[in-house]
Amino acid sequence: MLNLIIILVKIAVVISIALLHVAYASYFERKVIGHMQVRMGPMEVGWHGLLQPIADGIKLLFKEDIIPANADRHVFMIAPMICFFGAMSSIVVVPFFGSFKIGAYTVGGSLADLNIGLLFILAMSSLGAYGVILSGWASNSKYAFLGSLRSSAQVISYEVAMGLSLIGVIMLSGSLNLSDIVEAQASAWPLGWYAVPQFPGFAIFCIAALAETNRTPFDLPEAESELVAGYFAEYSGFRFALFFMAEYMGMFIMAAVAVACFLGGWNPVPGLGWIFPPGVWWFLVKVYVLFFIYFWVRSTLPRYRYDQLMALGWKFMIPISLANIILTGLWKVVF
Amino acid sequence: MISLLKKIFLYEIVQGLALTLRVWISGLFDPFKKKTNKTIVTRRYPKEKRPAAPGFRGLHALAKDENGKMKCVGCGMCSAMCPSKCIHIHTSEGADFKKTVTGYRVDVLRCLYCALCVEACPYGAVVLTGHYEYSGFSREDFVYDMPRLLENWDKYMAGKDGGRYFERFWTPKKKNFKGGDNIAS
Repeated sequence: MLNLIIILVKIAVVISIALLHVAYASYFERKVIGHMQVRMGPMEVGWHGLLQPIADGIKLLFKEDIIPANADRHVFMIAPMICFFGAMSSIVVVPFFGSFKIGAYTVGGSLADLNIGLLFILAMSSLGAYGVILSGWASNSKYAFLGSLRSSAQVISYEVAMGLSLIGVIMLSGSLNLSDIVEAQASAWPLGWYAVPQFPGFAIFCIAALAETNRTPFDLPEAESELVAGYFAEYSGFRFALFFMAEYMGMFIMAAVAVACFLGGWNPVPGLGWIFPPGVWWFLVKVYVLFFIYFWVRSTLPRYRYDQLMALGWKFMIPISLANIILTGLWKVVF
Repeated sequence: MISLLKKIFLYEIVQGLALTLRVWISGLFDPFKKKTNKTIVTRRYPKEKRPAAPGFRGLHALAKDENGKMKCVGCGMCSAMCPSKCIHIHTSEGADFKKTVTGYRVDVLRCLYCALCVEACPYGAVVLTGHYEYSGFSREDFVYDMPRLLENWDKYMAGKDGGRYFERFWTPKKKNFKGGDNIAS
């Protein structure tokens, strides 16, 4: 019984913090991109626009939920939920901090310490792509449909490279459990980060994560200038908000996986351990740095053309990640 | 070889990233101002208003002379010149058989702010002021009649502004106008 209550409390805390985080990630993004474009970003609601995400949320909640007359009603209604579910369920395996004991009870660093954590995240993030594809199909609109077609092609070419880039990490740490991977990195050479010995894997993971979360320069599924808004062009009100939150949750998950698998998770940055002990703050700092890089890249790079994207995925990233796996295997055999 | 290395390490993308980062930092606290010369350019409009440049062609007004009388004589040249036909003038015979202007309406919604009326007016009686923020709840709000146009003069062209407007931008043709003088006042 006590365990159940603790788990429910943990779920409530993590989900509410995650949703608040989604709201403020959008604020952070608008501020960063605004300043990079010599603008100010949100300024009017609250001090320096700090209440802007709340105003946006209230607006989206009270907007009319329009379903186009020729849309496939049920699929149209379910699709954003699938998308959101795929993004939110990944968060259960994200290790925020190392587990510690209070009395007889062990507080785990994640909601569920699954042994197949990494696999679970990959599975759930591809499940989100179903939401994207179904929404485009159900909308009965050519722009939404084109966006979802692009998304499916993108998912096929990038999931492969992403999974392969993580295999090197799995080989080095010998585990799929994200907490174990973080623990294994503490002794990894050098720095305690797999980003150094697994540099090709890290680079490919970062690029594939951009494609996976539909961020610029791989935002073909929602290319505003070509496809109105892409797969969610027909959505409004809270269903649109679900897609929006799913996108930002996806970014958070990808950043969290990158931090856990390549950047040492909740352990401090080497040399800075004297500032703070290991803990959730280090995890969040690293995640926010990765978020900043997402926004930085978005404000810098133009969108890839469709065939360039496919060529990059199949001709460069998959061969490089395969070579990375072979080299890692040789390393494991020799040393 | 070098071009290959540049390609592998995404040299051009890194250059682009460096530029955006520099601009970002300059927007935050501006240590590189001399290098990029870019600080935030946003004007927070309702809070910071840009003063209209002198000679700006904004809302219409009917000029008054030193005695506070309307300069317009009702010759109708402005309305004849107006390309969008938004000036309507009504004149009638006054008490001592002088032509008097009884109505002067400008439909501001139709106006295209070409200032041909100002150019055409021999007496410098119609001006475009620097005022550009006007809004209303109905179309009728934007049909400015004579009292409102005269009021605009007091509001936006009062004092030296009015005289300077003509000195610098539009010389009224009255100065070398060969027509009759003192038709009306």
